[in-house]
Amino acid sequence: MKNIISKKDLKGFKEKANWLRKKVLEMAVGAGAGHIAPSFSCVEILISLYYGGFLHVDGKNPDWSERDRFILSKGHAAPALYAILADKGFFPLSDLDYFAKEGSHLGCHPENSTPGIEIFTGSLGHGLPVGAGLALSAKLDKKKYLVAALLGDGECHEGPVWEAAMFAAQYQLNNLLAIIDHNGLSATGVLKNYLGVEPLKNKWEAFGWDAVLVDGHSFEELFSVLKFASSRSSSKPLAVIALTTKGKGISFMENNPIWHYRVPKGEELEIARKELNLVNKEV
Amino acid sequence: MKHWVEGMRDSFFRSLLNEAKKNRDIVLIVSDTGAICHDEFKEKLSEQYINIGIAEQNMIGVAAGLAMSGKIVYVYAIVPFVTMRCYEQIRVDLCCMKLPVNIVGIGAGFDYSTLGATHHGTEDISLMRSLPNMTIYSPADSLTASLLAKPNHQQIGPKYIRLDRTGFPLIYNNKEDVDFSKGFSVLGKGKDLYIIATGRMVYAALQVAEKLVAKSIDVGVIDLFRIKPFNQEMIWNVVKKTERIVTLEEHFITGGIGSTISEMLAVKKDAPVLKSIGIPNQFCGIYGERKYLQQWCKLDVDSITKNIKEWIEK
Repeated sequence: MKNIISKKDLKGFKEKANWLRKKVLEMAVGAGAGHIAPSFSCVEILISLYYGGFLHVDGKNPDWSERDRFILSKGHAAPALYAILADKGFFPLSDLDYFAKEGSHLGCHPENSTPGIEIFTGSLGHGLPVGAGLALSAKLDKKKYLVAALLGDGECHEGPVWEAAMFAAQYQLNNLLAIIDHNGLSATGVLKNYLGVEPLKNKWEAFGWDAVLVDGHSFEELFSVLKFASSRSSSKPLAVIALTTKGKGISFMENNPIWHYRVPKGEELEIARKELNLVNKEV
Repeated sequence: MKHWVEGMRDSFFRSLLNEAKKNRDIVLIVSDTGAICHDEFKEKLSEQYINIGIAEQNMIGVAAGLAMSGKIVYVYAIVPFVTMRCYEQIRVDLCCMKLPVNIVGIGAGFDYSTLGATHHGTEDISLMRSLPNMTIYSPADSLTASLLAKPNHQQIGPKYIRLDRTGFPLIYNNKEDVDFSKGFSVLGKGKDLYIIATGRMVYAALQVAEKLVAKSIDVGVIDLFRIKPFNQEMIWNVVKKTERIVTLEEHFITGGIGSTISEMLAVKKDAPVLKSIGIPNQFCGIYGERKYLQQWCKLDVDSITKNIKEWIEK
């Protein structure tokens, strides 16, 4: 499995991950808004999807009918997705400077008027039902595209997630992929302390899905599972439970719920920049 | 046409079935809710029929996904479940994204009378009315309902269709009589009073008008079958010279067509005075047939007639 990415490519992806974290931090600092820690937990997942050749999309032709559909169901990770979409040419990189500022099309949660954004999210529990509808459409129209939705683990508290899970299994939507960013934390606390979601893998399996656990910060493991996702023969939809760390990359943010929606200032910001190797450097 | 014996539900779905046979992009999703011709839908058009189970929130999401891919989607359940249970899904997945999904609710007002408050459709107009990009139809008869089943390819955003299991006798003889460009029909002109009614209360309004005319009150009746977008300008032109307006709906008075008309009158100079008749803002808490519940809240023809007459004579 370790050979799935060359050393050189792995270095490139790690650099891209670091670039993305820096970009997200600076966007949030610039706006004084945005969800940094929830974005950081899914950086490697998003990079694997968009740069690993798994998601077939075209920045020059966002509405290409055969494109794979990616849904950021945990919409609050929008800053990370915006930076990738801009980098991929869906809209100018300079738009990122206006993130969550007056008149911007880029808010803390994504809207489908932005090129590359498939659906409105921000309210949790919407991505999988809509994704299931898209996946069913592909089946009805005999189209080959994949539908991938990235969910939070706290989002799995929402009932419609499980309504959609049942539906996707019933209709054998093996073109539907749910990736669960399993960082164990929500906006106010540690899930297991107030409403646990474990055993998450068994839950998806019990709902009729194939389910796989991976390290959500390991490019090797993510590439391996995404390769499997695009080549498997199962009739079931696939859930990838990606074990992650909320706030990954900035020590004081990691695993601390208070950073769900907080932007560092002063000394904290200096530490954050230092840890991301951002001191006195252009992003 | 007067011998029509189908209710709105059955004429709507019969019409939709015919459309679906011609257009394979039409998909009907039901949430464990039936109608006579659904069996035929299931058998002959199995790829166009989905019973999604008792899961209305997922139903709206799946409908959105299908609509994004060009399908013409109809979702169907009893009024409170297809509007309230999945309200936020309608708001985000359909209204925010302007997706032309058709939301079909069965059981206007007390239609499911003995099933109790959980099954009554008493807040749906109010709720749907507050959503941007939403269109609301509330047909008064089976003919109008059958016409509403035809897909509108120019539709932007979702459409809510409020159906009743009744729908006859018919209000209209010919489909040309239902003017969809206007969204309402003047069924009779009046100098003293206009009754603006919606859904099955239009038939009640005609009966009330007949009784009032017999008492020398000049009453006109308007069928307001498109509640949103509300055709304020044209309605105002019809009613502005009358003295009084009564709104009539089998819906809570709060937020329904009475509120719609009051919003119009509030900004007009020398506006007619308004009386909103509907269901008081409380859950009925008693059981009985529809007629009984209508009498309980004075929505039967005799009570309405008495109410209006006393108001005029006061």
